[in-house]
Amino acid sequence: MGILKWSRSKSPWLIHFNTGGCNGCDIELLAALTPKYDVERFGIVLEGSPRHADVMAVTGPVTRQVRKRLRRIYDQMPEPKFVVAIGSCALTGAPFGDCYNVLGGTEKQIPVDVYVPGCPPRPEAIIDGIAKLLGKMESSDDDDGE
Amino acid sequence: MLDTVVIPLVMFLIFPGVAFLLAMAFFLEWIDRKTVARIQRRYGPLHTGPSGILQPFADFLKLLQKEDIIPTGVDKKVFILAPILISALPLTALFLIPFAGPSALVWFEGDLFLIMFIFTLIVLVVFLAGYCTTSRFSVIGSSRAALQMLGYEIPMGLAMIGPALLAGSLSISGIGQWQMDNGIWTVLLQPLGFAILVTCMLAELEFVPFDIPEAETEIVGGWRTEYGGRKLALLKLGHDLELVLASALITALYLGGAQQIWIIPSIFVFLAKMLLVTLLFSLLRAVFARMSIAQMLSGMWKYMVPLAIIQILLIQLGIGG
Ligand code: SF4
Repeated sequence: MGILKWSRSKSPWLIHFNTGGCNGCDIELLAALTPKYDVERFGIVLEGSPRHADVMAVTGPVTRQVRKRLRRIYDQMPEPKFVVAIGSCALTGAPFGDCYNVLGGTEKQIPVDVYVPGCPPRPEAIIDGIAKLLGKMESSDDDDGE
Repeated sequence: MLDTVVIPLVMFLIFPGVAFLLAMAFFLEWIDRKTVARIQRRYGPLHTGPSGILQPFADFLKLLQKEDIIPTGVDKKVFILAPILISALPLTALFLIPFAGPSALVWFEGDLFLIMFIFTLIVLVVFLAGYCTTSRFSVIGSSRAALQMLGYEIPMGLAMIGPALLAGSLSISGIGQWQMDNGIWTVLLQPLGFAILVTCMLAELEFVPFDIPEAETEIVGGWRTEYGGRKLALLKLGHDLELVLASALITALYLGGAQQIWIIPSIFVFLAKMLLVTLLFSLLRAVFARMSIAQMLSGMWKYMVPLAIIQILLIQLGIGG
């Protein structure tokens, strides 16, 4: 593993974006960032600005209104960037899937790297998902990410 | 040849020059993050190198290889220049600090004023860095940075003048030398000045409780919002260097500088003292919550400025002088 890839997998900075969920997943994601789980051990830091972030943690189904904003925030992140879809809603739209204002899961709008199922997933599951992403970063062959 | 070219070159580039200072910057950031984590009953960085000591370096390297975005609507020249200046200014100031032995790499009578000037210049560049991006978050953040400077600049200057009055020298190396000759630390004579300088340095470093210009919960990333990739890497490096500068300056002015204790070389004594100051910063950062800009300004003008003037008066009256 080259030193560049090493540095990338050791310092994933998160940005959190709720595309219209019920807030259950957000609470679990925030719980995963609290001192109890201490994700800073892996170098994970929550950043406010998409320009600073490497990993976008998306929760909730994509609604018609948020679609453009999701796309714009994704575009604002510098390459290489990764997306983690958290919760059943972000995967498929789940309970809100058939609503008139919902377009479905995240993957229809932007490329997703890791899926974390659950309604909502436990903080341990979220951390496990991000750890899987780090494993994927380390083993990927190309040097510009996904 | 050896004396005139090679040795000065090694001193400027390696020790106690650029390479040493960069290593110190990463090391102190690690100490700071680790201390805050331990106070919050966490581990902090753990898996990047032994005990996570390489974490700041990994962050830096990762940011360097990211895409370099220049948003539309920014003032390109300032946007490109500001990160370079923000990392270069503290580095320049650090050459004036006597790390090993009685005198610094560069020193002259009056370099204390140069340091004060550089501190002000850093804030000015921060203001420009935020202002040139025209993003609303950055503009709010940078105007807060400038406003904050109005609060802490005067007490900070007065607190730096205290040791200078005591030693009768306007150079940092001279003040360190005076403390070594008299075998006393300025902090014992002027504890008030020391407290004021530490408080003002917290504000200069934008540490909690004075992280108002980058208040993450209010204005996204503050004046840094639009910077990504290698520009952000330089901004973060500049901040780490500022941490080194702040702790080194406090050590040199108030904690006796690079004195030799028993057979321990002076550089290690200096580093140990710097570490202590950094621990103090981290402790304060971990136990306080952010103030609002109005609280900060009025607090500085109501308490810090009068206290700093009282300190100077005390010295003039011969108490602690
Ligand atoms: S997955 Fe469940 S908890 Fe998460 S946003 Fe959807 S409904 Fe809420």
